[in-house]
Amino acid sequence: MTTASLNQHTDTRADNTGYNFAYLDEQTKRMIRRCLLKAVAVPGYQVPFGGREMPLPYGWGTGGMQVTATVIGSDDALKVIDQGADDTTNAVSIRRFFARTAGVVTTESTSEASVIQTRHRIPETPLSSGQILVYQVPIPEPLRFIEPRETETRKMHALQEYGVMHVKLYEDIARFGHIATTYAYPVKVNGHYVMDPSPIPKFDNPKMHGSPALQLFGAGREKRIYAIPPFTRVESLDFEDHPFEIQGWDQTCEFCGSDHSFLDEVVTDDEGGRIFICSDTDYCNQRLNTGASKEAV
Amino acid sequence: MTTNNESRPSVTSALSLAGLCAGFDDPVQQSQQVFRRALTALSEPGTLQTVPVSDAPERINIASYQLCLALLDAETPLWIAPPLRTDALVSALRFHCGCRIVDQPEQAEFALTSPDFDDDLSQFAQGSHEYPDRSTTLIVQVESLDATANWTLSGPGIDGMRKVGIAGLDARWPAMLSDNRRRFPCGVDLLFTAGTGLMGLPRTTRVEI
Repeated sequence: MTTASLNQHTDTRADNTGYNFAYLDEQTKRMIRRCLLKAVAVPGYQVPFGGREMPLPYGWGTGGMQVTATVIGSDDALKVIDQGADDTTNAVSIRRFFARTAGVVTTESTSEASVIQTRHRIPETPLSSGQILVYQVPIPEPLRFIEPRETETRKMHALQEYGVMHVKLYEDIARFGHIATTYAYPVKVNGHYVMDPSPIPKFDNPKMHGSPALQLFGAGREKRIYAIPPFTRVESLDFEDHPFEIQGWDQTCEFCGSDHSFLDEVVTDDEGGRIFICSDTDYCNQRLNTGASKEAV
Repeated sequence: MTTNNESRPSVTSALSLAGLCAGFDDPVQQSQQVFRRALTALSEPGTLQTVPVSDAPERINIASYQLCLALLDAETPLWIAPPLRTDALVSALRFHCGCRIVDQPEQAEFALTSPDFDDDLSQFAQGSHEYPDRSTTLIVQVESLDATANWTLSGPGIDGMRKVGIAGLDARWPAMLSDNRRRFPCGVDLLFTAGTGLMGLPRTTRVEI
């Protein structure tokens, strides 16, 4: 009996790394799985979980990785992006981590991926039903900078006492004439919980509303998990006379000429030269492959 | 040490291993696959998920049993409705999951039941307004999940509305579910099972007849 079950465990290992499938032990996965089920049942509510130490520092996506390790299976295709890019350090190392410990297929294509772990962007290519988007979250509590006490913020969520959040946005208007919050812009999920969408640019906020994909959020240091089921109402907070607006650019992407994607500004020399490029590398490459270019626009 | 073990009933003493119902062949992969179906079931309420055919203790649906194997362990108190509480089931769950079986529904993190239990859904843990996640998840065994669609569901996870036909629920259920939804953010979450079929109904789903 014992020998047989030991052999079975060996069989399920991705390779000879010596770790369980997808790094985490089964007890931890079950605990996180139960939290994920409660998270989708109460959209936008932050479920506390027993966050584990991961083999990389807090701030590098330990929460997102624990969620990914828990949901991913051997038939999944994983994509990891960091600020939209597939080829930066954080994205490459997390992708390699799961390729090694879970033996899963990895991809850079948004449409081919079944699980996408992201740091601070939502892909430009619209997500589809059945896909799971896993966000890395630094500070999950949107009220934390206004009210540092956890006992108080819990009560504020319970009573939906979100006036202070509107005051914070109003202070922007009083000082700058417009809402100056440009990332981690607070949203209200399904008409109840105010939620931090993680530090995505507010440009991406509208993509969360009614998305056909399941959105999961993991905060490793703060040990919180929350979720937005598909087709859920997600509203960015605003005022009638100062409606929510997304960023726009006068420039277009230097490579593919896109005039509708989120652009990064890149300084090219020390004489004031700068270019704007798509932050979503996969989207930019797709457009280049279909013949799009700056000149063609 | 030995004396201690003899002086109090140990977990293994009451366990009958003869005829024990098998667990997963491959616990790592199969737990993940069952969990993903449960996750889809609760995030897209009313969609029918199916688990592979396997053994299950008598009176227990295959989907119910696999949910228990995938989600339960020593940290999750389980309440089993008396008619389902057979030795075969209790032995299998204690052996494979090591979960505690509790007598009071409100102590349970998970509950396994048929739809005709006494009292209503408020007897289970509801969570609090500060911690709505601390509520019971019910696994409810029904006759069929693809009967004539007579319920219309709407809410998070549903694009517009979705029609479902769950057979075997008595007349109390629509009112119980609507009370459950009214308690939001508190309330229980339900996983209905029939054979290998699985369907989720979280507390956010509105049910209309």
